[in-house]
Amino acid sequence: MASTSSVTVSKRDPLETPPLIEGAQTDSSLNSSLFAHVWAIPGRGWWTLFAIALAGLGLLGVGLTVTLYKGIGAWGNNIPVGWAYDIINFVWWIGIGHAGTLISAILLLLQQKWRTSINRFAEAMTLFAVMCALLFPLFHTGRPWFAAYWLLPYPSVQGIWPQFKSPLVWDVFAVSTYFTISLLFWFLGLIPDLAALRDSSQSPVKRRVYGIFALGWRGSGRHWAEYKWSYLLLAGLSTPLVLSVHTIVSFDFAVSVLPGWHTTVFPPYFVAGAVFSGFAMVVSWMIPARQFLGLKHVVTLRHIENMCKVILATGLLVTYGYVMEHFIAWYSGNPYESDMFFKVRQRGPFAPIYWLMIFCNVVVPQIFWFKKARTNLLVIWVAALLVNVGMWCERFNIIVTSLHRDFLPSKWELYAPTWVDWSVFAGTIGLFSTLFLLFMKFVPAVAVTEVKELRHELAHDEHPAVSVAGGGGH
Amino acid sequence: MSDGGGFRPRRFVLGQFATSDALLAATQAMRESGHQKLDTHTPYPVHGLEKALGLGRAKMPTIILLAALTGACVAYAMIWYMNAYDFPINVANRPPHSPPANIPITFELTVLFGGSSAFFALMGLLGLPLPYHPVFEAESFRRASIDGFFLSAEIPSGASPAEVAAAMKQHGSTDVQILEESER
Repeated sequence: MASTSSVTVSKRDPLETPPLIEGAQTDSSLNSSLFAHVWAIPGRGWWTLFAIALAGLGLLGVGLTVTLYKGIGAWGNNIPVGWAYDIINFVWWIGIGHAGTLISAILLLLQQKWRTSINRFAEAMTLFAVMCALLFPLFHTGRPWFAAYWLLPYPSVQGIWPQFKSPLVWDVFAVSTYFTISLLFWFLGLIPDLAALRDSSQSPVKRRVYGIFALGWRGSGRHWAEYKWSYLLLAGLSTPLVLSVHTIVSFDFAVSVLPGWHTTVFPPYFVAGAVFSGFAMVVSWMIPARQFLGLKHVVTLRHIENMCKVILATGLLVTYGYVMEHFIAWYSGNPYESDMFFKVRQRGPFAPIYWLMIFCNVVVPQIFWFKKARTNLLVIWVAALLVNVGMWCERFNIIVTSLHRDFLPSKWELYAPTWVDWSVFAGTIGLFSTLFLLFMKFVPAVAVTEVKELRHELAHDEHPAVSVAGGGGH
Repeated sequence: MSDGGGFRPRRFVLGQFATSDALLAATQAMRESGHQKLDTHTPYPVHGLEKALGLGRAKMPTIILLAALTGACVAYAMIWYMNAYDFPINVANRPPHSPPANIPITFELTVLFGGSSAFFALMGLLGLPLPYHPVFEAESFRRASIDGFFLSAEIPSGASPAEVAAAMKQHGSTDVQILEESER
C-alpha cells in the first residue's frame, strides 16, 4: 500500500490536502460518534420528514391502485408515445443508483480513500433507487402478476421461451442482477458494523436484533482473510456490472430505428449521465445528512468538493454526448435525424424541456470550476437539485420528444401526463425518502468499520511501527 | 455439538492486547512457539495478521472464479437451448443461434453467479451465521468489534489451559481469560 504524505499538520498549508478524518479520533470515539444517530431517539425533524415521506408513499399506493384497477389507460401514454413517464422514471432512478456502485466499487479499486466515508450512504441510495426503478417496468406490463410469465425463462405451460435477442429481456437480467449484487455488496460491508452495533448497544432487545443481522460475526482473523477477498472481488465484479446496466438500458433505445434513439453514442453517454445524476443525488442528501447526523468529522468539505469535481467531469461527458448526437444528426445528412435534433427538440412543443435540460446539465455544472462554488453548501445543494431536474428532462427529451414525431406526420401526437402519472412519480420519491429515513435511523450512515480501518492505516503511515511482523505485503 | 457421550464443552483462552501491533507480535510469537488453533479478533482487518496466523492462500478468489465461469456457461447454454434448439423462432430470418446477441445476458449471469458466490460461498466457508461461539462468553469481548484486539486459542480436551494463558500473558496480553462453552 503506497504511503501517503502526512495528513495532519498544525498549520494548514494551502497546498496540503485537508485530512479525510478531522480531529484526533480513536476507534472508540469513531464508534460512539458514528453510531450516535442510530441510538438517538428521532427528533421532530426526522418525524416531520418521515410523515411527508409516508404521505408520498400513500400517493404511490393510490397511483398504483388506480393503475391496476383501470389499467395503463389511466396514464397519459398513447400511440405513438407508448413509453412515457414509466420509462423516463425508470431510467432516471436507475441512473441515480449508479453513483452508489461507482463510489463503492470503482473508487475502491482505484484506492480512493475518500470514498470510505460516503460509500455506505451511496450504496443504500443505489438499493432504494433501483427498487423505485423496478416498479415502473413492472407496472407498465399492466398485469405485474403475469410479468414473471413473460420475462423469466422458466418452463411455463405456454411452452415458449423469452426472446433473448430483445434488449428488453437483457434489461430484465441486467437490472435484477444489479439489484441482487448491490444488495449483497451492501450487506457484506454492513456485517462488521452490525456486529459493532450489537456489541455497543445498551438494550438487550437491540442487542438481540442487531445480533441476528450480524450473523455471529466475531472479527476472526481467519474470517477477515477470506472476507477481504470477497469484498474486493465483489467490487471488481460490480465495476463492469454498473457500466453494463446503463449500457443495456440505453440499448432499449439505441437498438431501435427511431430518430433520436438510433445513436451509437448512447451507451457511454447514458453511463456518464447516470453517474452525473447519481452524484448529484448523493450530494443533495449528504449535505443535510452530515449536518443532522453529526458526520461532519468524517464527511468533510473535501469529500463534498471531490463529489462536485466528479459532477463537473461527468457533466462535461454528458455535454460531449449532446454535442455528438447533434453533430452526427447533421453529418449523417439523414433528414429525419436532423429534423428531430434541430427542429423538433429545439423548437417543437416540448422545446422548454430541451432548453431546461441544456441549462441544468450543461450550464449549471460549470460553476464547479470555481472553488468558491465547490465549498458553498447552499450553492452545491441547489446545483445538485438542478442537475437531477436536468437529467429527468433529458430522459423526457429522449423518450417522449422522440416518440411523438417519428417518420409519418399522420402518426404525430402530443403527450400529456395524467394525475396518475404524477402521483406514481411523486410516490416513488416518497418511497425512496421513506426507505432512506429508515436507513438513517437503523443503520450507521457511514461504513464505521472501514473508517476505523482508514484511521488505523493513516495513523500507521504517519508513525510506521518498527517491529511489525510480516510487514510489506501487497 | 453434544453427541451420545454427553456434553464436553470446548475451552478457549482469550487474551486482550492494547494495540494491533502488540497483537500482531504476540500472534506471530505464539504460533512460532507451536501453539495450535489460534485465532485473532479485531474490529477491522489488520495488515499482516494472515501471515502471523500462518494462513495459506485465501480460497475465495478460486471459488468466485469457478462460480463466475459456471454462470457464463449456464447463461450461454440456456440461451442456446431455449432460442436455438428447443423453440427456435424465425424473426426476420436472423439466425436462431446468434452469438453477439447472447453476450449481454452471458455477462450478467457471470456477474450474478460470481457475485452471489462471493457472499453465499463466503458464508459457507466461514461457517456463518453462527449465533453462538464460546468467545462471546467474555463480557470484554464486546470490544472486539469496537476497539479491542484479541487473540484466542482453543484448548484440546485433556490439556490444561494454564500454560497457554501464561504464554499469552508473557507475550503482552493485558487481560487473559479462560472460557468454557456453555451448554444450551
